[in-house]
Amino acid sequence: MAAPVSSVDKTPAECSALNVTSFQKKTRSKSISIPGTRPSVQNGQLLVSSGVTSLDYLLGGGLAVGTVLLIEEDRYDSFSRMIFKYFLAEGVVCRHELFVAATQDDPDDILQELPAPILDDVAIHRPGDQPRMSCEPQDTLDAMKIAWRYQNLPKVQSALASSSRFGHYYDVSKIMEPEIRQAAKWHRFYHPEHPPLSSGTHSPKLESYSALLKSLREVIRREGFDLNAPLPKSRNILRVGLHSLGSALWGDDLCCHDNPKNVHALTSFLYGLRALLRSSLAVAVVTVPSHLIQDRALMGSITRLCDNAIALESFKGSERETNPLYKDYHGLLHVRQVPRLNCLASQLPDHKDLAFKLKRKQFTIERLHLPPDLSETVSRVGKGESAAAACASSSAKHLDF
Amino acid sequence: MLSELLQGTDIGGFLLIQDSCTYCGRDLLKSFIEAALNREEVVHVLGFDVSEEELKDGLKSSVFQGLHFHNAFADPLGWTDNSHFTVHQFSSSGLAELLKQTAQSKPATLVIDSLSWILRHVTPTAVCHTLQQLKKGGAVKTIIGLLHEDMHSRGIVGSVCRLATSFISVAPGTKADEGLAKITRRSKSGKVMQDEQIFSIRKDLTVTVLSKPTNFGRKQSNTEEQVDPTANLTFNLRLTDSEREAKEKLALPFAFSTEKKTALLHSGPGSGKILYEPDANDDYDQEDPDDDLDV
Repeated sequence: MAAPVSSVDKTPAECSALNVTSFQKKTRSKSISIPGTRPSVQNGQLLVSSGVTSLDYLLGGGLAVGTVLLIEEDRYDSFSRMIFKYFLAEGVVCRHELFVAATQDDPDDILQELPAPILDDVAIHRPGDQPRMSCEPQDTLDAMKIAWRYQNLPKVQSALASSSRFGHYYDVSKIMEPEIRQAAKWHRFYHPEHPPLSSGTHSPKLESYSALLKSLREVIRREGFDLNAPLPKSRNILRVGLHSLGSALWGDDLCCHDNPKNVHALTSFLYGLRALLRSSLAVAVVTVPSHLIQDRALMGSITRLCDNAIALESFKGSERETNPLYKDYHGLLHVRQVPRLNCLASQLPDHKDLAFKLKRKQFTIERLHLPPDLSETVSRVGKGESAAAACASSSAKHLDF
Repeated sequence: MLSELLQGTDIGGFLLIQDSCTYCGRDLLKSFIEAALNREEVVHVLGFDVSEEELKDGLKSSVFQGLHFHNAFADPLGWTDNSHFTVHQFSSSGLAELLKQTAQSKPATLVIDSLSWILRHVTPTAVCHTLQQLKKGGAVKTIIGLLHEDMHSRGIVGSVCRLATSFISVAPGTKADEGLAKITRRSKSGKVMQDEQIFSIRKDLTVTVLSKPTNFGRKQSNTEEQVDPTANLTFNLRLTDSEREAKEKLALPFAFSTEKKTALLHSGPGSGKILYEPDANDDYDQEDPDDDLDV
């Protein structure tokens, strides 16, 4: 019997709320234990899940706290927006704080479109919710026809396990319930509320980016994420999501001109952002419409200024959509950069040819490989040619091995 | 998909028609105007490229009440003192004032002919900002714009296309009076639908959509075939209704009655013990396990 017998002995009233075993993991008291984070196995950095478990695996276990992830958007901004939403949804589920900045859509709208977490593993702290125990056997016995011996085990795992579980799965077809979403604390920066001034001055900074950086710095100081200031008792992580930096709506003409006037605006913003994050308990995800930026050198320097960088290339609309090689996938994923944090070498992914597919319950990133060539003519032709060369007779074709 | 767009079900959207010098998109723009006027909508046209007479040519005169033409063709940069509409008035405040002048009850459809003219004289960031403000609603319900893609760099065209909720790129078709339209629609949830259709516009500005081009054998994303695994087999895998009922009624081997289930689930201590008495046939000799072999 797989199920432990001891738990079945106790009456339902005695069974403590959610504990199946009494095993307690031994943790070092000195390390920071913030829900939703875990130390990296490679270098001990505190890691945070990006919301997509296969992306966590690619980036060496997760996003390190204090770093920036750059996502180069695909052509119609559908998949990069999806990853952005996964990142924010993961923050809501792990009860981190959020900071969302956008120009094209109101941050409220973005938060309302977050995907719903698959709930078996998430303990939602609703006041009146009791775990299903076998207090009323008549009702619950009909639930499972074949595996009825497992009915009494609670469906929700213990609270400790669920909050320290790293990486959750989301159902894209459903929207996150308002109760879960409203429990999360978040801050917004909607650019049209800060109207742009005309770019008459030739300063390297742009008004919109300066305002964004100021707002972020103020939130970090006020809410206690700053590592230099004395930290409050209970610590938390701030997840910063910046959507479509560099697009024309931020007032930046990087995407519009080949020789933009504000060449250094975005790069100096990213420099300031990374400096701010290194001294605070925060993680940032930045999306940039790189397919519109003509200057490859500029794109290279933007990549260097962020720690992690991935690029999404979707097949929609390109001629690759009909290519049979790519028929199972929605696009290609390129890992442009992996950081070296407090160590000499970085953990590069093993395979460079990666493709992604957005399924309903998972965003999978897989290695792209050629299917086996099972056509019959391939080997036959080879053998025929070599046979003809060796025998040099007209009946070489009839040799059938 | 083209006919759906013509019916104007997109509220708060920005439809962008992109043409080039090989095929002029103004006829398609005029058919959109005609369709909107037939639906009794209020249409404001900012005319930069062509004059009022040329734009109204072909439109039925009976529907002219809803059409407000703002003449920016005569003097777009304001060189004389009496210009109707200059290119610098293309901002969210300028347009709001313009729309207030013609007091209407319902939100209007704004047609811009063409955006290329505006982009040459106003910075792309300001144009994008204005379009974004207009899209958010209020006085304007839908925006239809015409853009000539060969007049601008790829970056500018891309930046403006990013704002569009529906995007039609027209090119000449195989026959003389036919055009090929590549349509991309982005829904609110981020889903992108694409289609290619051959169309032709008749004299009265109605658009007939002809068959899809045959040499582009692209499958539509929303018609994926569901492969039925029970088809094409030499044996029968399907169940009739009576068979399904019989299957449900079948008693499973370990399906106990409810009393026995509760007894087992809430059993007392010691129920897990297994008592076993080895009988004569079982060999229990631990020293030589092969003792019973007859070798």
